[in-house]
Amino acid sequence: MSQDSETPSARRLNADLIVGIVSLGLAALVYFSTRELSKLGGVFVDYILVGLTALALITTAKGFIKPERVRFFESVIERNNVLVGICILLLYLIFLPLAGFLPASYAFYFCFNLYLADERFTTRNILISVFLTAAVVTAFYFIFHHFLEVPLPEGKWFE
Amino acid sequence: MFDFALTGLFQVLMPNHFLVLFIGVFMGIVFGALPGLTATMGLALLVPFTFTMSPTAGLIMLAGIYVGAMYGDAIPAILINTPGTPAAIATTFDGFPLAQKGMAQHGLVAAAVASSFGSLVANIVLAAAAPPLAEISLKFGPPEYFWLGIFGLTIISTLSSGSPIKGFLAGSIGMILSAVGMAELGGDIRLTFGFPELQGGIELIVALIGFFCLPEILSSVIGQRRTAYAEKIVKPSLGVLREVITSLFKRPVLMLRSAAIGTVVGFAPGAGGNIASMVSYNEACRWDKHPEEFGKGTIKGVAASEAANSAMAPGSLIPLLTLGIPGSPPAAVILGALMLHGMRPGAELFTDYADITYSFIMALLVAAFLVTIIGSFGSFVFSRIINIPSRYLAPAIVFMTVLGSYAIRNNMLDVWIMFIFGIIGYVSNKLKFHPAPIVLGLILGPFVEEGLVQSMLAGKAAGGTFTYMVYRPISGVLILLCLMSLLWPIFAALRAKPKKAGVVNKSASEGKEGRDESR
Repeated sequence: MSQDSETPSARRLNADLIVGIVSLGLAALVYFSTRELSKLGGVFVDYILVGLTALALITTAKGFIKPERVRFFESVIERNNVLVGICILLLYLIFLPLAGFLPASYAFYFCFNLYLADERFTTRNILISVFLTAAVVTAFYFIFHHFLEVPLPEGKWFE
Repeated sequence: MFDFALTGLFQVLMPNHFLVLFIGVFMGIVFGALPGLTATMGLALLVPFTFTMSPTAGLIMLAGIYVGAMYGDAIPAILINTPGTPAAIATTFDGFPLAQKGMAQHGLVAAAVASSFGSLVANIVLAAAAPPLAEISLKFGPPEYFWLGIFGLTIISTLSSGSPIKGFLAGSIGMILSAVGMAELGGDIRLTFGFPELQGGIELIVALIGFFCLPEILSSVIGQRRTAYAEKIVKPSLGVLREVITSLFKRPVLMLRSAAIGTVVGFAPGAGGNIASMVSYNEACRWDKHPEEFGKGTIKGVAASEAANSAMAPGSLIPLLTLGIPGSPPAAVILGALMLHGMRPGAELFTDYADITYSFIMALLVAAFLVTIIGSFGSFVFSRIINIPSRYLAPAIVFMTVLGSYAIRNNMLDVWIMFIFGIIGYVSNKLKFHPAPIVLGLILGPFVEEGLVQSMLAGKAAGGTFTYMVYRPISGVLILLCLMSLLWPIFAALRAKPKKAGVVNKSASEGKEGRDESR
């Protein structure tokens, strides 16, 4: 096997099979979670489940007979970029109710801005990120919290 | 009536009222443009400000906010693939591809002009024929809503021309998601998995942000490190205004049909702008000579969606002003404002309070013109937003998606749902399983369910569910439209075959002739 075929860029996934099996799993989950419903509450779910299962079975069958193959990531760099981006957002959502809106948003905005810059840790980039973070987050905080009076997440750590 | 309309127009054009209207339109555009803030929210937040005004000025301002928001939602839909409100979902289908081609200004101007046109047509209908149309709106019962929902679902065959099976599978998943929460009839708590916050169901705008906005950022900005949000730099010019306006007015059928669909869907109480824009987009695609252009960035798609959702706004006021039945959530807020000013919907609005009522209707009309002006000239500024390097734009967009998702119901679960839907949207896009039908199912699921369950209950009492659901005049028309919509792709394919064969034969014979000549 060549080295190229082992990289993510060369791997092709059977899209129909994945979609079909995940949909069947979802149908099973919904089926077992809705058996206790009353007739009025369950009739719509039951009708949709029949359609969902039938369509999922057809898609799975297509995955075996005539699959549509797709390349998920074009390169390892793209995969890593996406994973790091998801991790930054994930950390922001975890810390939002702990640190509160302002501290978590300042940290997220600064890190994300710096992460997207080509040359990350130059003084110029850091200064731009600090300025943008302060301006954008503070502006939105004032608009939502003070003008529109929308309650924003409060932190458990700094309460 | 004409005298009252003229007096109303003069009232609106008085400097103080005109200023109030302008502020209303501007604020409406801002509310519509910010994902997470809706026309309903904007109206509800600003109703208290109108208490201190005279009823005429207060209602003029509310008219401006409503009309402005119906256009404003198109701005993020076109620029960053995130509908400002659910009513602009169909605007993203062609608006965002236009922006990607460096034609964001084309999309924005088309949205402004079509919004104004739709609003104008619906306002004329509102002013001229509100009472008789209100009577028709009362004939919409559960079976009609069921069939209207099914008709909306047939758009899946248009949205997923690549694989209709996968499209309908995605639509079914969307409808299952719409069942999350407390059942409208029966009161069962379904699929909440122990999260009490989910009893209210999945918030539509959260799903829209998740499925449309986040995957785009993950894919192009974070994954591929594209330096700009659009593939080509936007260069706004006055020529674009002329080009788009001329192009749209060369398509009167498209514009009138979209406005008519929006008005009709609007006066059916409960059906909102999202259904209007979807149905209108579907019809525009079906009847166009070049349906293959839709979904790849055409102003026709943007115009169809925007004309319909803007026409829905005055349309939804028809049953409100005549019968006191709000046709949409923003109309319900306007009902509250009318009551607070001591005005009760019904005949007396058009007799005792005719001066105020017609001022309100004329304000909707003038606001439509203001939208054209603000939207067309604003497009020079708005369209440049996507020229900002993605390094600066993307964090702001992600930050706004989080803030917008949280602001809807003030809970973190909505933000997590948005995040999960974003990941699902990214993965499903990669697997060529497009999430647009999922959102369509989520929007139409409640209509279909309510129509189905209520029809089953009423049908039992009436002697048969099938008879009750099918043998009704409006139901009959809707069933016919559903069948037409489903069978249209087959008909279109059959129609295209002889043409293709003709072209192939012609080119083959030309080739043969060419070869003969060369000999």
